[in-house]
Amino acid sequence: MDIFSNLVIGFSVAVTLKSLAYCFVGVFLGTLIGVLPGIGPVATVAMLLPLTFKLDPATSMIMLAGIYYGAQYGGSTTAILVNIPGESSSVVTTLDGYQMARQGRAGPALGIAAIGSFAAGTVATLIVALFSPPLATIALKFQPADYFSLMVFGLIGAVVLARGSLRKAIAMVVLGLLLGLVGTDVNSGVMRFTFGAPALAEGISFVALAMGMFGVAEVIYNLEQRGQDRQVFTSKLGRVLPSRAELSFSKWSIVRGTALGSILGILPGGGALLASFAAYTIEKKVARAPRDFGNGDIRGVAAPESANNAGAQTSFIPMLTLGIPSNPTMALMIGALMIQGIQPGPEVMTQRPELFWGIIASMWIGNLFLLMLNLPMIGLWVKLLAVPYRLLFPAILVFCCIGVFTINNNVFDLFQLVAFSGIGYVLLKLGCEPAPLVLGLVLGPMMEEYLRRALLISLGDPLVLLASPISAGFLIAAAALLVSIAVPAIRATREQAMKE
Amino acid sequence: MKLPRRRFLHLAAGAAALPAFSSIVWAQTYPARPVRMIVPYAPGGAADIAARLMCQWLSERLGQQFIIDNRPGAGTNIGTEVVVRAAPDGYTLLLVNLANAINASLYENLNFNFVRDIAPVGGMMRLPQVMVVNRDVPAKTIAEFIDYAKANPGKINMGSSGIGTSVHLAGELFMAMTGTKMTHVPYRGTATAFTDLIAGQIHVMFPAISSAIEYVRAGTLRALAATTAARLDVLPDVPAMQEAVPGYEASAWYGIGGPKGTPAEIVGKLNTEINAGLADPKMQAQFAKLGVPVLSTSPAEFGKLVVDETEKWAKVVKLAGARAQ
Repeated sequence: MDIFSNLVIGFSVAVTLKSLAYCFVGVFLGTLIGVLPGIGPVATVAMLLPLTFKLDPATSMIMLAGIYYGAQYGGSTTAILVNIPGESSSVVTTLDGYQMARQGRAGPALGIAAIGSFAAGTVATLIVALFSPPLATIALKFQPADYFSLMVFGLIGAVVLARGSLRKAIAMVVLGLLLGLVGTDVNSGVMRFTFGAPALAEGISFVALAMGMFGVAEVIYNLEQRGQDRQVFTSKLGRVLPSRAELSFSKWSIVRGTALGSILGILPGGGALLASFAAYTIEKKVARAPRDFGNGDIRGVAAPESANNAGAQTSFIPMLTLGIPSNPTMALMIGALMIQGIQPGPEVMTQRPELFWGIIASMWIGNLFLLMLNLPMIGLWVKLLAVPYRLLFPAILVFCCIGVFTINNNVFDLFQLVAFSGIGYVLLKLGCEPAPLVLGLVLGPMMEEYLRRALLISLGDPLVLLASPISAGFLIAAAALLVSIAVPAIRATREQAMKE
Repeated sequence: MKLPRRRFLHLAAGAAALPAFSSIVWAQTYPARPVRMIVPYAPGGAADIAARLMCQWLSERLGQQFIIDNRPGAGTNIGTEVVVRAAPDGYTLLLVNLANAINASLYENLNFNFVRDIAPVGGMMRLPQVMVVNRDVPAKTIAEFIDYAKANPGKINMGSSGIGTSVHLAGELFMAMTGTKMTHVPYRGTATAFTDLIAGQIHVMFPAISSAIEYVRAGTLRALAATTAARLDVLPDVPAMQEAVPGYEASAWYGIGGPKGTPAEIVGKLNTEINAGLADPKMQAQFAKLGVPVLSTSPAEFGKLVVDETEKWAKVVKLAGARAQ
């Protein structure tokens, strides 16, 4: 009963002309910056921060939150159209999304991403509204050892991301882990493999690596093709929206992705990051035939995109209930609240219900705006692919450079982009896929940090990894996954399945 | 083209007088174009927001845009080096803070000497820290905590936002001055550290008051002491550390600096406007919301603070480093 009166309060805040207008501005800006790989949500929120000084807290949060999840929406667009993942969460979307675009199915790919995201956003918003306080305690139950084991599980799952050879996939994961070692060691402050470059103190730039290995390497590869082969995208544009058959085909993928994303999004220590990867991995394991993952299976877009957006919504739970930011954008939002004299934390819900429920109600409205905004735009995006490649590719390169530069305003990051573009091209030629490498790079440093923290707290006792039931559970699951991948008989069928 | 002799002489005399002349002219016309303020952190957090508030104030007062340029990385060293290398014309400024003073001794091979290469412009704010413990820690006072820590050497986990941060070193200073020994558990920033502190993975931390106050008010964490010389207005019931540990003082501070050689007239002009901002009731109200007392100084006073703090923390860094081996 209570929930209804709360939602009434929420909608009474969110459905005013002012709130609706700022919500729209937020999601519109978010979509825009998501599509342009140039500036990310962090920079945008930072730039708009002074504007919120003059707004009331609810309105400013509604706008900033809109930018955040709007960017999650928009990020999939470049991943699908030109193979550029702007954030780690859209890396897996490139796998099948870009293949679909090449086959002239960019419309359905973008459509299913928007529809899946909306469905996931709706469900996740409901979860936030109904279960925030009890779910917040889950975030507190996760100890360093549990996070470590969760990451181990994710990493072994990364092997499944690859289309081709298992050995190459493992090699790429390991290479990613090694690249993840670069930077300052958290526990001792020692610089590792930075070769005196202060810009490497924070580690290798994820965006430079992802844009180089996916976007630019793909451009080089395409330019290499001669004559008619250079036709990157089929000339026929195809349908703009997914068909009824495609929708019903991917509905369970959306459900699974939403469930997984909602759960992982709650964990502030990197859970949301895993959501899209995990959703894709599970999809590849459980989806019914015909399976064509890696070659343009629509479920390979639907599941991670749903997971991604569900995670983006539920990651508000630790922030709203505990005051713990799940990512840099949220840290900024907490800053915006602080300037209003509100410290996000357990008291916000009881003392400022109009703020708490207003944000939740606006999330759902924002998702609706996003759907309304994105579906009509798909036609426009698809037409973009009709632009001759000789005009398209310089634009891609320019946007990549701007995007990489603006993150830290550092020229060194552009050198990283160049280096990883070259490496990415070589790897492409060798048939090694970059997705497992990216997951290794992202998870490696976190895994190390959690493991060492777990050991530091347990005074060096490795049994701490098995003492916690959550950790032990993940390790057993990881072992089972490993066995299922490694047993040669199973591997043979797996490769056969890949060839289908 | 041949210059007439007389005209040439005029020009030459003018050119010779230019250096002395120009700095005054500069100060009069300064700022003639947008000024950038390098913030050596990623956007967000009390420091970045305070810098944005100040930039907005300066933009309104001086009629030119003061733009925030976030250059995070290497514990403020990347952003600082940008300013060290910039032209000393007042158009590149730096958000200076305690990390700069700590880094002078924490990092062995920096390409600059902070005290020598950055000219102080003025202080902006103090950021007091507070010693908070998990609710299940039995100690209710500082004295009880010291006894508890002495009874359990190495078993108490002290969280921090990273090696060599003010949060870490405030804890090291506590250990050094009380003769206790705790296990230091570094995190990347305080956010995840708070999660573990609330959950009881770590037991004690010395975070900035602005990030901890709501947990204290909600009762999820217990504050044992303020790290400042006196009690804090926002937590009047929490004792100052000095009441139990005489001589203990640790708090972060923020201010503004420029490249060495920035004309004194420009430094003076900026200092006047910064202090006017810090005295403005509306600005004060916004700083108060961040939970930070303002720090209004002359350039020389701010310079002295930087030198003193650099010396003070060099000793703690040495202590902490000796312990880490």
